[in-house]
Amino acid sequence: MKKLINDPFDMVEEMVEGYVAANDHIIKRVGKRSIARANSPIQGKVGIVVGGGSGHLPAFAGYVGKGMADGAAFGNVFASPPAKPVIEATLAVNGGAGVMYTYGNYQGDCINFDKAQDKCREMGIKVQTVVLNDDVLSAPKDQAHKRRGIGGLFLVWHVAGAKAEQMASLDEVVAVTNKANSNTRTVGVGLTSCIVPANGKPTFSLADDEIEIGLGIHGEPGIKRVKIRPIDSVIDEIMDAILADLDYKGSDVALLVNGLGGTPAEELYVVYRRVKQICDANKINIKFKHVGNQVTALEMQGTSVSLLRLDSEMHDLIKHTTVDTCMYKKV
Amino acid sequence: MANVTGALVAKSLVLVAKKVEQNKDYLCELDGEVGDGDHGVSMTIGMRAVSRAAKDLPANCTPSEALQSAADAFADEVGATIGPLYEAAFAAAAESVKGKQTLNEIGDWAIVYRSMANAIQVLGKAQLGDKTLLDAFFPAVDHIQALATKGGDLQSALLSTAERALKAAKDTRNLVALKGRASRLGDRAKGHQDAGATSLAVVLKGFADGVKKG
Repeated sequence: MKKLINDPFDMVEEMVEGYVAANDHIIKRVGKRSIARANSPIQGKVGIVVGGGSGHLPAFAGYVGKGMADGAAFGNVFASPPAKPVIEATLAVNGGAGVMYTYGNYQGDCINFDKAQDKCREMGIKVQTVVLNDDVLSAPKDQAHKRRGIGGLFLVWHVAGAKAEQMASLDEVVAVTNKANSNTRTVGVGLTSCIVPANGKPTFSLADDEIEIGLGIHGEPGIKRVKIRPIDSVIDEIMDAILADLDYKGSDVALLVNGLGGTPAEELYVVYRRVKQICDANKINIKFKHVGNQVTALEMQGTSVSLLRLDSEMHDLIKHTTVDTCMYKKV
Repeated sequence: MANVTGALVAKSLVLVAKKVEQNKDYLCELDGEVGDGDHGVSMTIGMRAVSRAAKDLPANCTPSEALQSAADAFADEVGATIGPLYEAAFAAAAESVKGKQTLNEIGDWAIVYRSMANAIQVLGKAQLGDKTLLDAFFPAVDHIQALATKGGDLQSALLSTAERALKAAKDTRNLVALKGRASRLGDRAKGHQDAGATSLAVVLKGFADGVKKG
């Protein structure tokens, strides 16, 4: 294992210290493993608290700032944070209009965020939760509630953050976030494993000529391993799975071609090229697009494609809101 | 016969932590086959915190206080699913022996283990056979309960209980996962030994060795 770290067990602690210092113009630290926008709490604005395991930057803490999230909790690598940092972030961002939690659908995140939600409600804070489940291949359609949350959160949080920035009520922010989530689908493909620092070894192994369709962002197995082949045909398969799950034909969409951390940007544009061709062929109008590493899995190589089917409300929110967060900007 | 005071429970927790860390790579390997390969890491992070807290306890602490300190320490360091589960388990154990100065009877440990397993079941909502740590814990609880009724030596009872848990953990190979990340694999998880069940067996072995050493 070659990594830019000291003791692997100190990595998250040292990363948070550096992260807070490097972004002190945008955020402040509000606990050992929790951050909030520097100007929190913003009176009358719904506070959005995100979080999850470390190892996915820019997700999740990277999106704290104007236009997306107000606070975040850091977990250990690939492990959800405990309730405590979520509570700390909640208290820091509560400006009287309530707080929304939003995170990917994993058992650990659900348990810890729910625990934090219970505690904060006992303290009299209005808290609602929207759990994201965009990963098409992680469970069949009739069991969509079991699906994992992966790259699509980047698009959903655009919508959620924009709505909250307009000083909408908690119910309105929750409603539009749910709407965005139910219109978002993602499929990924992994080329290599990743190495959890304190583990020191690749989480799993893929042969040199193998790729895995549907691989999760913690290295959870996908649906099948296939021989590596020209990427266009892999993207065709990914897009088939997305378009078969939700009817995007003729719709306006927001689109993310996401890198998993270890894939060069050049390759992601080769992916985008094919995605664009398929969208054109299906009369899918790309109104917003982003290509880059957003929801990563340490040094894993691979990509995921996310589509959010837009209505006019979500279209306007995503198009017309300035985003200025620690790790992502949009004018 | 060992006198199992709060101080000895604290010492045992330090030993549990050591054992868990010794098994870190093995637990990660088991988890990597069907999950995300970090179970050994999470358990090590949590038990290191438990160990630090146990070493800070006063010599005259009660068994309940030692177990509660483990709950608090684990919860502060580890989220994921395993954090709240072990927090709940240690807290329930602490509650179950509140007021006791020693845990010298097999029945005391039967109560401790049953409280832990029940707390995990309530929070995790898993059933026996779902391929979780409960598939190692409940057989162990039944085992020590039977020994408590029969009577006998505490140290050998704790050791055979840990062995029962380990055997049951190995038997999870035959189960299909219904909880946790591995649950999305269906039949692909068959043939793999559950990491959480295995670490639970390690924890019980740590308690057994701790009491024996004392």
